[in-house]
Amino acid sequence: MRRALTVILLLALMAGFGLGVNRLIASRKHNIPTESSVFIPSATRPKIVLPGTLYLAQNGDIYRLSDGFFTDLHLSTASGSWMQPAYVPNSQDIVAVLRAAEYSNLYLLNSQGAIIRRLSNNANVHLDTVYLNHWMFYPHMGADGKTLYFSYDQPKNSGSYAVDFSVWSGTLSGKLAAAQLTNSNPFTGGDVAPTPMANGAIIYSKYAIGSGNAFSQIALQVKPLGRAIILTTPAQDCGQPAPSPDGTKVAMICIDGTGLQSTRLEIASLSAGKLGTPQTLVNNCLCSAPVWAPDGSGLVYYNTADATGHFELWWIKGALSAAPSPPLQVTTKLDFDASSPPSWSPLSSVPVMAR
Amino acid sequence: MRRQRASLRRRHRVRRSRVFLGFLIALGFVLSGAVGAVAYFMPAIVTAFQDTGHAIDRNSTTAQASASASAAASASAAASAPAVEAPPGQPFTVLLLGSDNDAKFGGTILTQSMILARVNPKTRQVVMESIPRDLWVPLSSGGSAKIDAAYLHGGASAAVATVEEDFHIHVDHYAWIGLLGLVNLIDQVGGIDVVATNPVMDDFYPKDLTGKDPYAFERVAVLPGPQHMSGLQALMYVRSRHGDLRSDFGRSQRQQQVLLALRAKAKLLGIADLPDIATAMSNDFSTDMSISEIASLLPIASSVQLQNVRQVILASPYSTPFVVGNQDALQPNWNLILPLTHRYFPAV
Repeated sequence: MRRALTVILLLALMAGFGLGVNRLIASRKHNIPTESSVFIPSATRPKIVLPGTLYLAQNGDIYRLSDGFFTDLHLSTASGSWMQPAYVPNSQDIVAVLRAAEYSNLYLLNSQGAIIRRLSNNANVHLDTVYLNHWMFYPHMGADGKTLYFSYDQPKNSGSYAVDFSVWSGTLSGKLAAAQLTNSNPFTGGDVAPTPMANGAIIYSKYAIGSGNAFSQIALQVKPLGRAIILTTPAQDCGQPAPSPDGTKVAMICIDGTGLQSTRLEIASLSAGKLGTPQTLVNNCLCSAPVWAPDGSGLVYYNTADATGHFELWWIKGALSAAPSPPLQVTTKLDFDASSPPSWSPLSSVPVMAR
Repeated sequence: MRRQRASLRRRHRVRRSRVFLGFLIALGFVLSGAVGAVAYFMPAIVTAFQDTGHAIDRNSTTAQASASASAAASASAAASAPAVEAPPGQPFTVLLLGSDNDAKFGGTILTQSMILARVNPKTRQVVMESIPRDLWVPLSSGGSAKIDAAYLHGGASAAVATVEEDFHIHVDHYAWIGLLGLVNLIDQVGGIDVVATNPVMDDFYPKDLTGKDPYAFERVAVLPGPQHMSGLQALMYVRSRHGDLRSDFGRSQRQQQVLLALRAKAKLLGIADLPDIATAMSNDFSTDMSISEIASLLPIASSVQLQNVRQVILASPYSTPFVVGNQDALQPNWNLILPLTHRYFPAV
């Protein structure tokens, strides 16, 4: 009996040892963060308190960062992903993109995330003609709080494969796609990320293809459908322009030629329709979507914190000065949508209403 | 005296049986540990048997109708020469093949992507040369066609032989991956970070992986700039070509980008990650390399710096669009392609 018990105990120990070896090897697996291992922003606190209110997108939802706290707008993702929020000046409303599988629409939302109204209707009802759907991205409000600028995949030639963005404008209360402002280069992807400037011009990324490479150039559009003023060279490959609040400098993202897998965050002075010599703020990074603080005290951008990927919010204080502070990582273990530039309203303390 | 001797023998026997028992128990623990380890690596072992170690069959795929193509004839001697594999630690050449493998074309499998990679383990330098899928070349199996058809007429061995014959180089290894395998691999490593070169727009992207109708289309819009991509998003980025002025060349550049992004993720992987990766790529991956050779490539891939990667695309003037029969194809300019290729891949 004792011998049998000993044998059973030994067998159990051996089985346990085998299981232990199995689990020990499993514990050597490298923990690569997945979507489920990042936090939702509202469960975290940023390292510093930034002025005003920032709107940011992560995993199809939009978050508000104000007074050092994230607030989840709890937008329904049943019909798509929410992205690219844009605050409406002198208001607490925002415009945002709802991206479905085949099209995207612009919506006007209040500060609590309730839909005020849908601004576009880009869904085609005929399932067999998907190309009749349309994309609208990169909304940006004019300073008047009424005019909206955005990228739209019109005009589209039904007999061609070309699908390119052009910059359009319209009004929140009237016709949305009222005026086409730019003529894009066909079969390049087109013109994206428009930002209105104080002088009435639009600054944006214009894509082109030459010498076998696709590249972006910062462009200024002074007159609707007039000739674009190109501010950077093809070799610089710069896009995502963000003019400073005083209009004297432009922050931009430039792609390093080596392997096309890293970027630089640069700023350059803007005067008389020309950019000065760029100053590199961050080199050899996956920097994206720079946006200036409304008071010009610095700028935020997205970058990955390490080789595991996932985009965090970073801050450079005094970016307008001759000696900016080193970049500071504002968030940790988040995964912002790097193709959704943050939108930074000067207003803070959005009143909290019961939902 | 006799009793003493008997007692000594008994003690000796008891000691021997104790040693034997101890040995048995130790063996039991060793075996149980081995079973635990084998159980953990089982998916990788199954993959090792199923998908790796498929030797390149150079004899059955060399030119059978080379008389029709002088280029093939001149090169066939090189391909039919006995294959000499690069010694460990020496530079080697891998042909990376990517294709769909579903049944919508009645079993026809064309390679949508062909990338020649030269890896120097000592200097940690890599050269990637994309071969356009529409390049009109003599096939190792006879006749001329677009190079993407080489795989159709004899699988990976025929693709390797065709590249060897036409480019006058030696290919040490190949690795083939299907569309789903690529999607699963990227998802398994937690997605990849890619700097999209431009907005990639396509209204006629094949909806053959996610829908019920393999001939249906869907719309694709990959926005430009740095971003995190899932497997399906990365596939859209590397597969779309209708909205790009460069057509297949733009796609080739994007495919090389995704390989570099995967290289960045290789830094985070170790031997214990192999079973998950093997499961993810099961039935959508094949190579002539053994699983230990693949494992030995991981540290090399992770230590290659971006500035040590050279990318080559055979756009104009290396190839020129032309129409053959009713097909749009690319006429290779061998006078330019071969010197360029042999700058990085030794001529044979």
